[in-house]
Amino acid sequence: MTTGFAAGLRASAVAPGTVVTVMVDGRSVCVGHTLDGRWGAIEDVCTHDGGDLGDGELEGDAVECPRHGGRFDLFTGRVLALPPVVPVKAFPVHVEGDEIVVELS
Amino acid sequence: MAVPNPAVEKVPTGYKYGWNDPEMKSLHVMKKGLSREVVEEISRIKGEPQWMTDLRLKAYRHFEARPMPTWGGDMSQIDFQDIYYYVTATDKAVQSWDDVPDYIRRTYDRLGIPEAEKKYLAGVGGQYDSEVVYHNIRADLEKLGVIFLGTDEALIKYPEIFKEYFGTVIPANDNKLAALNTAVWSGGSFIYVPKGVHVELPLQAYFRINTENMGQFERTLIIADEGSSVHYVEGCTAPAYTTASLHSAVVEIIVKKGARVRYTTIQNWSHNVYNLVTKRAVAYEDAVMEWVDGNLGSHLTMKYPSIYLLGERAHGEVLSIAFAGSDQHQDAGGKVIHAAPNTTSLITSKSISQGTGRTSYRGLIKVYPGCHGSKSTVRCDALILSDEARSDTYPYMEIDEDDVTIGHEASVSKVGSEQLFYLMSRGMNEAEASAMIVNGFIEPIVKELPMEYAVEMNRLIQLQMEGAVG
Amino acid sequence: MSVQAPAALDANTVQQISSGEPGWLRTLRTDWWARVEAQPWPDPAEEEWRRTSLDDLPRDGGLLLDAPTATCDLDPLLAERGVIFSDLATAVREHADLVRAHIGRNDTLPAQMPFWGRSLAAWTGGTFLYVPKGVAIDGPLTARTELPSGAYTYLPHTLVVLEEDASATLLEEISSPDGQAVWFGGTADVQVGYGARLRYANLQRLGDGVWRIGAQRVEVGQDANVTTLNAEIGSAISKVGMDVRMTGKGGTSRLLGLLAAGGAQSIDFNSCQDLVGSHTTSDLLYLSALYDASHASFYGVTRVRPEAKQTSSYQECRNLLLSPNAGAEPIPVLEIETNDILRCGHGATAGAIDPVQRFYAQSRGMSADAAERMIVRGFFERVVAQIDSEPIKARVLDALVPRIGRTDEEAAA
Repeated sequence: MTTGFAAGLRASAVAPGTVVTVMVDGRSVCVGHTLDGRWGAIEDVCTHDGGDLGDGELEGDAVECPRHGGRFDLFTGRVLALPPVVPVKAFPVHVEGDEIVVELS
Repeated sequence: MAVPNPAVEKVPTGYKYGWNDPEMKSLHVMKKGLSREVVEEISRIKGEPQWMTDLRLKAYRHFEARPMPTWGGDMSQIDFQDIYYYVTATDKAVQSWDDVPDYIRRTYDRLGIPEAEKKYLAGVGGQYDSEVVYHNIRADLEKLGVIFLGTDEALIKYPEIFKEYFGTVIPANDNKLAALNTAVWSGGSFIYVPKGVHVELPLQAYFRINTENMGQFERTLIIADEGSSVHYVEGCTAPAYTTASLHSAVVEIIVKKGARVRYTTIQNWSHNVYNLVTKRAVAYEDAVMEWVDGNLGSHLTMKYPSIYLLGERAHGEVLSIAFAGSDQHQDAGGKVIHAAPNTTSLITSKSISQGTGRTSYRGLIKVYPGCHGSKSTVRCDALILSDEARSDTYPYMEIDEDDVTIGHEASVSKVGSEQLFYLMSRGMNEAEASAMIVNGFIEPIVKELPMEYAVEMNRLIQLQMEGAVG
Repeated sequence: MSVQAPAALDANTVQQISSGEPGWLRTLRTDWWARVEAQPWPDPAEEEWRRTSLDDLPRDGGLLLDAPTATCDLDPLLAERGVIFSDLATAVREHADLVRAHIGRNDTLPAQMPFWGRSLAAWTGGTFLYVPKGVAIDGPLTARTELPSGAYTYLPHTLVVLEEDASATLLEEISSPDGQAVWFGGTADVQVGYGARLRYANLQRLGDGVWRIGAQRVEVGQDANVTTLNAEIGSAISKVGMDVRMTGKGGTSRLLGLLAAGGAQSIDFNSCQDLVGSHTTSDLLYLSALYDASHASFYGVTRVRPEAKQTSSYQECRNLLLSPNAGAEPIPVLEIETNDILRCGHGATAGAIDPVQRFYAQSRGMSADAAERMIVRGFFERVVAQIDSEPIKARVLDALVPRIGRTDEEAAA
């Protein structure tokens, strides 16, 4: 299992209750920091229209796509609201010091 | 010899529902226009939980940010600030017919509800200026655990189940009109059918816009649990007005494993109404979802009932009739998304355009990779009755799986002169003969309607044909 | 966001090409180039351009100035009767008046104009076919072009003019080597006069690195009869716009297409059948066989104008998906503005070979591959059978072999 580091992004820069797009090992990943301090990461491609998810919002554990409101679970990638129907890949993520570590496998 | 009057074509003559009730009182009438404050006020008046208020405000934010769609019909005349967003005629929903205020009962009398109630119906949610004012669930349905309430009431009484499903099929930001609805929704029906329960008689609701510039934003949520079945029927009439009315409803339906839902709509809004609706269902394994959609009225309707087939062997059908007379544009159709193997779908669209009317079929069949064994057939037939009428077909297909059978056929035609001649030689006049041919054309869909709608439909066609000829 | 035209394709290059050309042609090119510059690059939000992105269009190669001339053989007897069939540059030198009378006079669909304009301004290479009044040509005329290796831009223009009661069959073939990034922007302007009859086949066997962005405009005159065939076998990306105008009363057109794609090819056809004249007929039949991870989109519009009475049209697009990663998007659109029509419809299908057909063939002892080849060949028969000219039919079938293989029968023959 390979690991990657969030390119140039510190954990302290990601406010609770938000998602951001980061490049990890050449791959676009949407990293989310929940209001209660947990970290999750999913592939940054909405399976409905192919656009970024990191531009969207985080509500509880749900990442909401900014273009049509589709929602994915931040931790499992499961679809929570249409119009997407295909889940996204989810990655384990944790924080080491101020570094966000996303495990791409 | 009578001089033909072109105005006859514009509005159906003898529009039997074209009255306005003088005794109508609109209570809690707010001022026109839309703002954060209006959205907050609506939520406050309804006594909603904070999560709904927050959702409404978020949806309002999305509504403001999104541009209007650039395709479909002409929506340039809609002024969102020139509309009332909330009016109620009574303060609470009622359980029995006797509790309904007089002037509302009179309206429903003229629509024929008491007869229907006696004969066919299990319950009626009547929407009058955005509130469910009459509601009756029959005892046996209650015993079975079927929930059939106004959506406002359901939010308060069944918050868990409501929150679990609301906005999961059509999220607030799905499109501009869905965002508007999520911000200002009021009224509509909430139905929950428990596992294995079959609701034999159709559940119905009536709607009516009655205040000038009144917007209708009902929100309907139907959940059919595993193995259950229900048929919901929606039909509306509205008096004629000269300023624009906006009807922007959202209907979300969840059909769980092995369940079956049919949702029938006969829409006959007066010809100044903009009817912009988002209707979508999800169907799980072995489930069946059927939309029966009749679009007869309104100035512009944009509506594409959709079905997402998410479980294996799910089946979806859209049966659509559209009738556009002069100054009307029916932009309708259906969308089916195949997202599981061995799913099937059928879209049948029959449209008729007359005078200067325009019907457009707009549809989508999308098959995701991996949905092997899926089949879909789309059949669109259009009848153009006059030289100036217009018919369009825009069928989109995105097929990304090879092991499927997807087909689409369409035809456009006019009433055949030989057919007409034959019928007229049997003693019918041209209007009667045309009406018969047109009724034959739409028969495959009409036969799926509950009887009183089928009768009303045939009468409406007759009315339209009389306007067309002579 | 506006995108710049390639450095090699600009006003200077247009000047350069036209040095040595007659003044009228220089003016024509310059005028068209001015229009190109005034017009925006295609907008990906437009319906016609939604399904093909031009982001990776190869534009680093310069414009091919020393274009290979099309090989056009013409029987001297026909030349004596006034038929002109040659590469376009030669035609400009030897028959300037005729070329001048017909070249660059027409616009095409707005979505195609950026490429139509570039070709009219900067064409090098191309073909001219002119058939005078009443002349009927038996047997096909063939214009064959073999492109060289290299990375370049090549924008040939084909001009076909049939006068009243003329009759001709034309096959244009283009091929190029694999592995070269080429922008091939061939355009064709076809004008068929009163009562004339044209069969026009375009056989494209370009290499696997080629981006083919083509535009074809066909104007069908009164009582004229036109059949076009586009056989698409090569290229990496093919984006073709067909503009068919049934302007004359009683005109007939048949638009045929055979697409056989493999690898990661993407084919995107737009067509517009515009029925303006009364009693016109326009039928379209496009058949695609899609292998590997190829993808075919087809956005076709049939438009029947209010003044077009008693017209007849049918638009059909059928896609055979021969591998799990193949995909199709057939979108046949109708816009009908009168009810006085004889017949009007469309059909589209997409899917795999019918398992019953496959089982039947294999139960006859055929291997799975042989069964598939036979069935695909059978699928294409609806178009192949409509190719009147035997030599053209043979060439098209031959060109299809690398894609669809040869049936056992054909191999044995």
